Amino acid sequence: MELTIAGVGARLGGRWVVDGVDATPPDGALTGLLGPNGAGKTTLLRLVAGILPPDAGAVLVPGDEAATARPQAAGSPATPEHVPVHMLDRRRRARRVALLEQESSATVPLTVREVVALGRIPFRTLWGSDPDDAAVDRALAAATAEHLADRAWSTLSGGERQRVHIARALAQQPELLLLDEPTNHLDVSAQLSLLAFVRDLGVTTVAALHDLNLAAAFCAHVLVLNHGRLVAAGPPAEVLTPELLREVYDVDAAVLTHPVTGRPVIALSDTGPDRSR
Amino acid sequence: MPTPPPDRPEDRPVDPSADPAVARAGERATDQATHPFTPRRAVATVRRADPAGGDAARPTRTVQPGPVRRPALAVLLGVGGAALVVSLLVAVTIGPADLGVGEVARVVGHHLGLVDGVPRLHDAIVWDLRLPRVLTAAAVGAGLAAAGAVMQSLTRNPLADPYLLGLSSGASLGAVAVLVLGVAVLLPAAAFVGAIAALVATLALARTGGTVTPTRAVLAGLAVSQLAAAATSFVIFWTATGDSYREILSWLMGSLAGTTWTSVAIAGGALLVVGSVLVATASRLDAFTFGDTAAAALGIDVDRTRWTLMTLVALLTGALVAVSGAIGFVGLVLPHAVSVLTGPAHRRLLPVAAVTGAVFLVWADTLARTVFAPREIPVGIVTALVGVPVFALILRRGRGAAWS
Repeated sequence: MELTIAGVGARLGGRWVVDGVDATPPDGALTGLLGPNGAGKTTLLRLVAGILPPDAGAVLVPGDEAATARPQAAGSPATPEHVPVHMLDRRRRARRVALLEQESSATVPLTVREVVALGRIPFRTLWGSDPDDAAVDRALAAATAEHLADRAWSTLSGGERQRVHIARALAQQPELLLLDEPTNHLDVSAQLSLLAFVRDLGVTTVAALHDLNLAAAFCAHVLVLNHGRLVAAGPPAEVLTPELLREVYDVDAAVLTHPVTGRPVIALSDTGPDRSR
Repeated sequence: MPTPPPDRPEDRPVDPSADPAVARAGERATDQATHPFTPRRAVATVRRADPAGGDAARPTRTVQPGPVRRPALAVLLGVGGAALVVSLLVAVTIGPADLGVGEVARVVGHHLGLVDGVPRLHDAIVWDLRLPRVLTAAAVGAGLAAAGAVMQSLTRNPLADPYLLGLSSGASLGAVAVLVLGVAVLLPAAAFVGAIAALVATLALARTGGTVTPTRAVLAGLAVSQLAAAATSFVIFWTATGDSYREILSWLMGSLAGTTWTSVAIAGGALLVVGSVLVATASRLDAFTFGDTAAAALGIDVDRTRWTLMTLVALLTGALVAVSGAIGFVGLVLPHAVSVLTGPAHRRLLPVAAVTGAVFLVWADTLARTVFAPREIPVGIVTALVGVPVFALILRRGRGAAWS
């Protein structure tokens, strides 16, 4: 999905948590959203998902029939082709944009199939039936989680749970996939396979990531946030420089080249010359 | 993501306390201990779960990675519906006057214009006393179970029940005002007004800080509950004398004594109207499974949905409390017990919980009016006596895994 983040900002408790961010994540590719804790990554994802109305600017996505029929406010950056995502009809938006939160837990006992079926809610008819019976199975298959279908959610490992969450998001058939720290609590092998899977989906994806090396290895594009502002954007090899990492994360880093993949590898150390800050 | 081999150790469940204990757990612990590729953590935890040590045959809590099968909704509703019809018929025949199914059928037939010449006494007992009572019990049980399930989902709190928003305390205050102070209003009307007043107070309090979050709603409900309970206690303490105590207590514990066809109409009408709206909004309730943000991302207007559904459930509960008093445990325990069979999808859970609640309360009330006959005990005592062990059993069976 063609996505334009146009001067978007959000205020929480009088403070701009996201402040005037302009960005155009590339179509059909994985974009990494980087930045220290509290930089505004989660808030920006909620803005892009359209579930948090912005206090400034807008996140623009291609319009649908219903949206183009609606007149836009004067001075809005929107055109019939590009409409603010938070103004879309909720159900229609949920058929185009999927968001996976960082921490999500259920208080009821579910099976994996029931979790994935939640992603079909925006498609259900008034009486709760799904017009596409096979959608859940397809989503399970796409996320290679078919073998888990009848398992109890509470018996899954962290890696399996994340795989099922991805299947739930895929059941929404999204054109835009938003992931908040999808690799949290996963072992190294699960981290790699998850990001490789997301990268190869061909769906426009924005993923908040903490691990700079994972971002460098898998993302086509990265956005770096600091104190709610966008401080750098572009391909990881251009953006993730020692200077930027010192400025944003206050760490000393050497950026190497991976001997096999040729992608940037970031070696961090905390014994730099300027630790006085 | 490539498919990992299913037995890859990392993909083994890491939480051994996650699901019900099974008798083969001991054997599995032994297997794991000897399996070279099993993570040590899992073995250690299984052993720790057995502090006595060595008793391999003793059931212990461990993972159950096997498939979970849910019976078809049609089967559950078919069995439940049949059980309800049989329960209604049998419950009507039970009581001090010895009437069989035949006599009951004749009375019902008489009122449908099919049968002539039914003894007056039979007619009075079946049509005026037992039938309204049994039908009210069914409607109240069904309504409480469905209302409890909805409240638990909206607040994501397994301890939520239909009275969460201070409804029962408000209704009690209204009822006690009539019973003790002699306010000249019909008791159900006073109870309903009390319940709605409590609801308004709770929602107003919960909204003071902005949106109605689950925690806010629970805390505001608690505050309003306590206030209304204190007021009720004060009124009773100050004015009640002798016999009125028993009448008050019976109402506070919940009782179906003295129900009439009006009670059937109130409880049944509220159940039909609100119940069909709830079943139609089952998908929206499902969307709350992983919390508010997930619900919003699934296209739900979180605030409006929660506000509307809580109000609807409160109106239903207010109507039920008005005819029966605050019957406890049905709305708390039955949704949990039923979801073991149906799973948490509300399109399945709500109808099955309603039917089960109806059957349950019909029998609980039958017990309440017969065990110590000719004396009658409040049905709330029976539901608590049955409900608490069931609740304990569910907790023990490890369904608490999702509640940790």
